[in-house]
Amino acid sequence: MRIKSGYFKKHLHVDLTHGTAERRDLSENFIEKYIGGRGFGAKMVWDNLKRHNFTIDPLGPENLLVIAPGPLTGVYLPSSGKCSFIAISPATGLYGDSSAGGGFGVELRQCGIDVLSIRGCAPALSVIFVDGVETKIIPMPELKGKTCLETEGLILDKLCTHAVHVAAIGVAGENLVKFACVNTDWSRNAGRTGIGAIMGSKNLKAIVVRGHEDLPVHDVKGQVVEADKAFKYLKEHKYFNLWQQEGLMNVIEYANEKGILPTHNFKDTVFTKHEQINGTKMLNHYKIGDSACFSCSMCCGNICLVKNGKYTGTVIEGPEYESCAMLGSNLGIDDFAAILSGCKLCDELGIDTISTGNIIGAVIEGYEQGVLTLDDLDGREISWGDEDSILELIQKIAMRQGIGDILADGSLRIIEKWPEMDKIILHVKGLEQSAYDSRAAMSMGLAYATSDIGAHHTRAWPVAKEMEEGQEWSDEELVDTVIYHQTLRPLFDMLGVCRLPWIELGLNEKRYENFYRYVTGKSVTLEELLMRSNDIYNLTRLINAHMGFSRKDDTLPYKVYSRPALTGPNAGKVLDRDKFEELLSLYYQKRGWDDNGLPTAETEKRFDD
Amino acid sequence: MTRKLTVIPEQCSGCRICEIVCSIEHFGVINPKKSAIRVMITYPHPVLRMPIVCSQCKIPKCAQVCPVDALRRVNGVVQLDEQLCISCYKCVEACPFGAMYAHDGCDYPIKCDMCGGDPQCVKNCPKGALKLIPEAVLGESKRLNNVLSYTQMKEIEFYEMGEKKVIQYAEIGKEEL
Repeated sequence: MRIKSGYFKKHLHVDLTHGTAERRDLSENFIEKYIGGRGFGAKMVWDNLKRHNFTIDPLGPENLLVIAPGPLTGVYLPSSGKCSFIAISPATGLYGDSSAGGGFGVELRQCGIDVLSIRGCAPALSVIFVDGVETKIIPMPELKGKTCLETEGLILDKLCTHAVHVAAIGVAGENLVKFACVNTDWSRNAGRTGIGAIMGSKNLKAIVVRGHEDLPVHDVKGQVVEADKAFKYLKEHKYFNLWQQEGLMNVIEYANEKGILPTHNFKDTVFTKHEQINGTKMLNHYKIGDSACFSCSMCCGNICLVKNGKYTGTVIEGPEYESCAMLGSNLGIDDFAAILSGCKLCDELGIDTISTGNIIGAVIEGYEQGVLTLDDLDGREISWGDEDSILELIQKIAMRQGIGDILADGSLRIIEKWPEMDKIILHVKGLEQSAYDSRAAMSMGLAYATSDIGAHHTRAWPVAKEMEEGQEWSDEELVDTVIYHQTLRPLFDMLGVCRLPWIELGLNEKRYENFYRYVTGKSVTLEELLMRSNDIYNLTRLINAHMGFSRKDDTLPYKVYSRPALTGPNAGKVLDRDKFEELLSLYYQKRGWDDNGLPTAETEKRFDD
Repeated sequence: MTRKLTVIPEQCSGCRICEIVCSIEHFGVINPKKSAIRVMITYPHPVLRMPIVCSQCKIPKCAQVCPVDALRRVNGVVQLDEQLCISCYKCVEACPFGAMYAHDGCDYPIKCDMCGGDPQCVKNCPKGALKLIPEAVLGESKRLNNVLSYTQMKEIEFYEMGEKKVIQYAEIGKEEL
């Protein structure tokens, strides 16, 4: 059966060096096999790597940046506003991707394209404007040094329109900070793996899109019936109202209760002042509105305003759990207004809140332990909860001033400069760990170690499942759970939809095979879709293997094995290294990789076409 | 009884489900740009999400400027007669709210017709930001808010059968009286 709809079958390729934009056709085979989103990205990055004999400078003009929504992006179904940004990451030197919600991906598709790829480097700071079928590369040197929000505002003024969607970088992206993010729709960030720095290296300040095309859907009526059922299911869920009210902020209480909330650079996993930074606090004192991505009824976004105190007037869309934990409890900050101010600063400068919070936490602990001297810190003391110094350090990282210049290069550079920091900073493959502690959940450790982009929970988040029902798991079950997560969660990124309706409110994943069928006109089972997602996992693994990575890099931070959390329900727990290695071997075996974690030559052949 | 489509902007999350269902209802396609309702978003000052809807005005500017009388108010809804319409888009420019729309792929201006009395946007808004209310009660919630702004709600805690309870009462500001 052929794919009848769901795609425009067009690929827009922009070469910034030559100032050209070209629409190319996508083959039937390509769209069927790689589906969209991260699938398209991984394949395009792979082909580009092969052309360059696997030697690519992530910040060089040859690195291909792929921006890909999926076939379900923008379609009437719960939370269909996702768009992936894919490239070789400057933070890790490996495959990297990050996805953003909002409406940018929908608008990109309405320009009549399924995927946008960008290579080269513009001679002057520029903006790509995809206006329906036309694509213009507009030099805008006046945007230099502008924050993400200023950039978006100036672009709207300059183009005399409101009806566009913008993906912009801030100063950090221009300064090639290795965890710079891309800011879409004012405050929806593709945060991780340093995609912002790639845009910066290409002299690309922003991508502006405006399109009017109908979204290709094979059977609109069938899709409406199916989507209505899904919306109804969500609306009747007992936690639906909680999600609308608190969004991801409700996780703070959960994480604290379970003892996985990063506190003081993961020294601890419960925060004594958690009530100062949780969802209830936000709801009662700061929240002024809701914010949702395209076609999402859960509206997990919060709009907060600080009404008094020294941060008065700070308005921000956010925070969500990760930002609040990494810039809050992880740095010992118990003033919610200060966290909002930190998040806002990161949004403005265009840096990832997770990496920033993680690195600053490590700096504070490093100074506490004497690994870093006052001289290293440019003479400015820093300690837990010291808001002023922390906000100043965020600024210095983005501007690459003083110690900020080294911190801006990420964990690997920090460890190279101060080897002792290896025991303090939490990262895998150079990507700083996100806000779920793994010391009490082996599955989470395995997930971090084997994630294709580094220590991020986007590929697998088995921690809650292990906490709730994993005490009796056999090794097999544990590894299977991780692999199932790593197969299903990336499928959402390939389809271009959000995973929260599934993971948080239990929307059955089987529904997505129906969505796929109504949109493309082709029947597939969930198992087939999962197989394709699994293929992409093999492909990203191959990319990493060709960049020289193998079992030796599938490790966990020092603290996870050696420094137990001090208090809380998981006090005293660390992961057993031997057990971990044993599970890792089992994991490779189940994935069909060799004991060194490398996919077979036969697997590689599957991606030759 | 005439019913009005009204907006509670404080409730809107900007998810644009209203736009999608509108395009499905009227054109059978998924295209938020082919809808008779649009969510405008401004950020960060002021931070606002607000659907723009047709007010079905009693003295409709769109109809006044129409050179061929294609727009008429029938049963409280300003309706577009496509047989008469010449697609000059004067109505789109004339609407004081910008609540009429044009699209390259459509032959006529896009105009809210209230879905024949049961608007899809109202039915599908997950936040209850869109309401269909009798014209005669328009402004009722504003009036209530206005009343409440004259009072200061106070709380008293008390115990009943050993259980802690809270009661709210209004204390009218003495200065204002």
